[in-house]
Amino acid sequence: MRSPRKREHAPRAGAPIPERFRVARSTLIFDHAMNIVIKTGGIAVVGAIGGIFIFLLIQILPLFRGASIDYVGSFELPDLGIQAMGIDPWSEIPFFVDPDGTLHFLEIVDPGAPHNRGWFTVAPPLPPDTAFPFARFNQRYGKLLFGTDDGRFTVVNLNFEQSFPEHRQREIVPRLSGNPVIRIGRSDAVFEELDYVDAGRTKLAVALQRLGDGTSELHAVTLRATRPLIGDPVLRRDREFDLTGLFEGVPRFVRLTGDADFVIVGTEEGYLHLLARTRDGFEPRQTHRPFHDAASEAIHSMDFLFGDLSLILTNPEGRNVMYSIYHDEGEGHRILGRTKVFDLLPGGRGADFYSTSVRNKAFLIGSGNQAAIRYATTNATRWESELDFAVEHALLGGRYDRILFVDDANKMHLFELSDRHPETGLRAYFGKIHYEGRAEPEFMWQSTGGGDAFEPKISMVPLIWGTMKGTVFAMIIAVPIALLAALYTSQFIRPEMRGIIKPIMEIMESVPTVVLGFLAALWMAPLISGSVPSALLVIAALPAGILAFAAIVTALPRPARRWIRPGYEFLYFAPFMFGIGWIAWSLGPVLEGILFAIEDPGTGAVVADFRLWWTETTGAAFRQRNAFVVGVFMGFAIIPTIFTIAEDSMSNVPRSFRSAAYALGASRWQTAVTVVLPTAAAGIFSAVMIGFGRAVGETMILLMATGNTPIMTVNPFDGMRTLAANIAVELPEAAQGGTLYRSLFLGAMLLFLMTFLVNTLAELLRQRLRERYKAVE
Amino acid sequence: MNEASHQSFPEQPVARRPVSVESRNLGERANYAPDYIAFRNYSFYYGATQVLFDINLEIPERQVTALIGPSGCGKSTLLRNINRMNDLIDGIRHEGDLLIGRTSVYDPGIEVISLRKRIGMVFQKSNPFPKSIYENVIYGLRVAGRRRKSVLDDAVERSLKASALWDEVKDRLHESAFSLSGGQMQRLCIARAIANQPEIILMDEPCSALDPIATGKIEDLIHELKNDYTIVIVTHNMQQAARVSDRTAFFYLGKLVEYDHTDTIFMNPMEPQTEAYVSGRFG
Ligand SMILES: Nc1ncnc2c1ncn2[C@@H]1O[C@H](COP(=O)(O)OP(=O)(O)OP(=O)(O)O)[C@@H](O)[C@H]1O
Ligand SMILES: [Mg+2]
Repeated sequence: MRSPRKREHAPRAGAPIPERFRVARSTLIFDHAMNIVIKTGGIAVVGAIGGIFIFLLIQILPLFRGASIDYVGSFELPDLGIQAMGIDPWSEIPFFVDPDGTLHFLEIVDPGAPHNRGWFTVAPPLPPDTAFPFARFNQRYGKLLFGTDDGRFTVVNLNFEQSFPEHRQREIVPRLSGNPVIRIGRSDAVFEELDYVDAGRTKLAVALQRLGDGTSELHAVTLRATRPLIGDPVLRRDREFDLTGLFEGVPRFVRLTGDADFVIVGTEEGYLHLLARTRDGFEPRQTHRPFHDAASEAIHSMDFLFGDLSLILTNPEGRNVMYSIYHDEGEGHRILGRTKVFDLLPGGRGADFYSTSVRNKAFLIGSGNQAAIRYATTNATRWESELDFAVEHALLGGRYDRILFVDDANKMHLFELSDRHPETGLRAYFGKIHYEGRAEPEFMWQSTGGGDAFEPKISMVPLIWGTMKGTVFAMIIAVPIALLAALYTSQFIRPEMRGIIKPIMEIMESVPTVVLGFLAALWMAPLISGSVPSALLVIAALPAGILAFAAIVTALPRPARRWIRPGYEFLYFAPFMFGIGWIAWSLGPVLEGILFAIEDPGTGAVVADFRLWWTETTGAAFRQRNAFVVGVFMGFAIIPTIFTIAEDSMSNVPRSFRSAAYALGASRWQTAVTVVLPTAAAGIFSAVMIGFGRAVGETMILLMATGNTPIMTVNPFDGMRTLAANIAVELPEAAQGGTLYRSLFLGAMLLFLMTFLVNTLAELLRQRLRERYKAVE
Repeated sequence: MNEASHQSFPEQPVARRPVSVESRNLGERANYAPDYIAFRNYSFYYGATQVLFDINLEIPERQVTALIGPSGCGKSTLLRNINRMNDLIDGIRHEGDLLIGRTSVYDPGIEVISLRKRIGMVFQKSNPFPKSIYENVIYGLRVAGRRRKSVLDDAVERSLKASALWDEVKDRLHESAFSLSGGQMQRLCIARAIANQPEIILMDEPCSALDPIATGKIEDLIHELKNDYTIVIVTHNMQQAARVSDRTAFFYLGKLVEYDHTDTIFMNPMEPQTEAYVSGRFG
């Protein structure tokens, strides 16, 4: 039993709450609704950021994937005695050259279908009654090289056309056209090696023959195209050179570089000789021993990479290196040098088959049942496998999408290759790479270039460098100005003035950066470039002016000083500084005449020009649109951001701290430096970081006011290219889904991560700093 | 209040002679050291609002003077004018004069910064800097350009001992001042105020945020300090004024109503308003 008293005091269940304690329904509903709205908003923001991140990740992940290969089918080949093999650009009709020079085509698309042509043969326009025991196909130029057994050769052009017969599937049709047969070398020996290159005006052939006595001879022939009145130009023999005496050793391999400037000879003894074509002959230039550091020094194979400038060499142990022709600053001309060392070939044997891609710098290499696809630029093995057959011939399809293997049982195996971004990878983006034609490993960005054999250079490092350079220059200019202005506005100036300055700064913040970029590029850059000494003088004169002003004021007797009322110092100071600045600017040419005069070596006249002096003295470039100009204008773009946040945090320093400092006899400056700055450190720090984040992501000013050259220098008078500007510059060139396209996304990701990281770090540090002053509130 | 002396003042514009309350009630001026704080016909305005009305007041050296009066009567304003802390406020204006040791604090030859170095101030709310205890104490010396470590160390020990804080903090001098309790913080502020050995210490309700024990400690401290310093203290606590001060000035609505020995003010005030205030009948 409950006591009645107890029941009286206990809240009665179900009893209505008195009216005055009730909360209005509308208040509750509104409260609830706002809760949901705010939560949704927060989640949406986080979701959007996460979404951007995931989207970027999806775009860039394919860049870091390897190659994959799918088996398509196998085809029985008749016993042809394959001399050479090749394939059309669409990878539909591979062909095999038999010892008679006949081309046997096999249509491999839709085998067995009614429109499939199966096997068909085409006889090239070769002279009758001649045997051509030597045949080679150059996939890049579509040229078939045939050699007789009596010192003659000819070039047959092989082109493929698409034809669309009525009511039938598209067909690839080979078209062949011949050239005269040309004599080269000795007529009593067969060709061991034969190479021919057509470099426009220069056409060069080289032949290696082994004589009956076991010695070898090397001969070169230059050809000339003569244009008859009617019809196509015809090749004629021009001059012949005997190269045998130009090097030592027994030649085994010979290759002509794509520009027909060099003959590269590999010998039995394992030497590589570079012979250069001169105006009237050939001269030996260099000798290398590619495998001097290996147990077996012999050269096992030697083939050109796409572009015909780099040789891929192997030795019998399976060592794999690359030698390239490049321009050497020291030598003053082009030389041959080792540029890459690849991994050991699988199986530890020299390459017995090799095929270069005619799309990129990939090559298919291997021996026996070991095969690998390697990418020369990045030193990377894209794919590697042990096959269940022994390979005799291998071919990488025209668009780097098919692989053909012919095994020792005369069976052809067809594979599909999917490797969309072979040239990418961590090393390509962030490592130093020895690009073809360059003297040393470098960080480079050059996404597109002339020629089909162009090697894209996609290092992110110059762009990150450019971003940092622009940011650093901007920060050097913006941070001192913004922080001093904030300090002055919050601590020294009269509150009325503060009320004017702050809104002006906020308006400045909203000036579109394209306007600043426009001013920087079209007004400031030409102005500065003609008056660097003036600008330097102004920069030096401002702090000096400040000191001078302070000295003058302190030297004034105290009563006179009372004219300058605290908080109104700027009324005297600003005109004074303008005067100093103007004088400094005007003295620029004088300084230029004294310090930056150089003697013109040609005329002997003395010219006072900073630009010439700079280039002469430092050896660095001077460009009108440079980091200095960018720094100034980007500085102006971020000053308001830094100023506003820093000023807020300085004004928020509790008055009691300042009062305490003043009461202890601290001057305004001492108070500002010893009390205000440390206390506001958190806010100042985040102001600087947010400014930094803005500078990192800033695009328009950099795009317009730098030359957008992706070079890595600290030279303030040279340009750069930033990640953000790079995206803007290259976007129109980037095909969707292509390597460049995804690389731009990678740049975007780096930018995103950089700003994200900087902002997160700034926020964390700010929290930490704030924690220290928590007791204040 | 002696109206006659107020009215007679304009005829003696550069009077260096204490008048009014002083001449009537204390009459012992000859015994004073020359260093004292004197308000002469002192009026003070915040913009258009007059806050202090024609104050004539002399504060003797090495004694404790308490300023009492109801809230808003201008005690803090008066105090803050002694070290010209009010200069930081816009639109202030004064009439009359305020002298310390015969020199006007408004003398154009006076550097405000050095004036403030002569005068320590303790605020109502303790306001240590967000620095270590050590750095707080020596702040005044630092801004005065003292660098010698031995000088600074001595000053820290001396002032913390003087403010009865030494034993509590001597092992944690380099910890943040914010780790101290409210009472300790206030004593730290006192130590900071005396570290550079000023002549005068101004205290604006130093104990208003403290418990009785901490208050007791600070009152003891004031007793100690008065041997070396001239102390002006604002307080709302009548017992405190009675306990610590030698003299008491009672303000009402910006006017100095009565100024006398503390005993006199509390036991035998002249003015009925003073009587009413100290006995707790208004305020
Ligand atoms: N910065 C200021 N600007 C304008 N008026 C002020 C300012 N400071 C104080 N006053 C005014 O001056 C008058 C005196 O203020 P003061 O702070 O001196 O009073 P107080 O006697 O110290 O009061 P309390 O005992 O509450 O601290 C008050 O009416 C106040 O409103
Ligand atoms: Mg007060």
